[in-house]
Amino acid sequence: MRVHYYPGCTLKQKTTALDISTREAMKRLDIELVEPEGWSCCGAEYPLTEEKIVGLAAPIRVLRQVREEGGDVLVTTCSFCFAVLKRADKAVKDDPLKRKRVNAYLRDDIQIDPLTKERTTGFEDYNGEVKVLHLLEYLRDRVGYPKIRERLKRNLKGLAIAPYYGCRVLRPQKEMAVDEPDSPRLFEEFLEAVGCAAVDYPFKQECCGSYISVSLPAAATEASYRILRSARMNGAKAVAVTCPLCFYNMDHRQEAIKETFLDFPGLPVVFFTQLLAWALGVDKSVLGLGEHRVPADDLFSETPATEVRT
Amino acid sequence: MRVKLKSGRDQRKFIARIEELSGENVFACYQCGRCSAGCPMASEMDLLPNQIIRLVQMGLDEDVLRSKTLFLCASCFTCESRCPKGIDMARVMEAVRHILDPKGKDAFGPGEISPELAQELPQQVLVSIFRKFSK
Ligand code: SF4
Ligand code: SF4
Repeated sequence: MRVHYYPGCTLKQKTTALDISTREAMKRLDIELVEPEGWSCCGAEYPLTEEKIVGLAAPIRVLRQVREEGGDVLVTTCSFCFAVLKRADKAVKDDPLKRKRVNAYLRDDIQIDPLTKERTTGFEDYNGEVKVLHLLEYLRDRVGYPKIRERLKRNLKGLAIAPYYGCRVLRPQKEMAVDEPDSPRLFEEFLEAVGCAAVDYPFKQECCGSYISVSLPAAATEASYRILRSARMNGAKAVAVTCPLCFYNMDHRQEAIKETFLDFPGLPVVFFTQLLAWALGVDKSVLGLGEHRVPADDLFSETPATEVRT
Repeated sequence: MRVKLKSGRDQRKFIARIEELSGENVFACYQCGRCSAGCPMASEMDLLPNQIIRLVQMGLDEDVLRSKTLFLCASCFTCESRCPKGIDMARVMEAVRHILDPKGKDAFGPGEISPELAQELPQQVLVSIFRKFSK
């Protein structure tokens, strides 16, 4: 299988653990990931006012490129990229005026072929031909959990993991609709498919503080603490995330959380793709565990690949 | 909370502009307070999300425009998923930020991030916060 994959800027520069574990896991599933030629940053934030049409240009340009390369699905892991790409695609599909304006803006865009240096311009309008899927959805709907179970090489023995959705995968519910906003199952089912036990806890779709962690760190410290504490109290050995910013707020800033909230002893934070890659037999050295501030090594300790629980 | 009511062309213009920018019908709000109850940033806010929308309904632009709340909203859309009337408060907040004085000071600018911090922050959060809080 071959599918277009959009890593986004953060995965290329800082949070490479999410990118490399995704690539390793997909190799084990015989899925070839193709990056759209010449992709740029998606803009991180979907424009929330009716007049900021220009914010749609970057994501639509990426989606149009996928179509030009013959793709009809674009997979992404970062929740921010996912939200921007999916919402921009929906805006173009649902709103003829936005479609017209963003395409008019992008028509004379120039693309340069990296090999031949040939310039292309005068693009066909993008009308929503590409389906944007989060990797969790892609694994559920296109790969299928039975295939993942077949390929498992390690038994994770029901390791207790708290799935953390955060803000952008489930909401706004009118547009994202990957699952029920208040009782989602997508992440839980994935964890069970790779041999973990999904911990149920009330903070799985609460906000970690998002970008407020830069302007008002104390507020994000508290928001992230509430999530981590709840996960821990409910028996989780780690929190699994899909977003580099959730990871930053809960892992990189955990020292500050512990200093502020003395009752909290700490909890590792991992990417869902690290669990997937590990269960599929990928070597520990290529999971990007060195990027974690809260050591997560103990979760990835060798266990004999005997019976796999299904 | 005590407010001084006004009614006139400016008030109507303000309300119309917020509705036009946000695409939300602010008069659909019946002040149930669910948005504020679920808001992760509520404890830091000077005006709660439901108070912001109430002031918008009354056209009290000055009170809304000077609220700190505009720069505390994390666009997490929790309020949107809870609102029985389907109102997306994050859009209302963005609409208000949009009409703030374009010549005014950035609520949060690049100068406030030290080079060391910039090194460790994920790119997405830098793009994000400047898109939200600077001009
Ligand atoms: S939840 Fe909706 S209806 Fe209730 S106060 Fe908030 S905006 Fe108004
Ligand atoms: S989107 Fe803003 S107002 Fe709504 S719950 Fe989140 S932080 Fe609060």
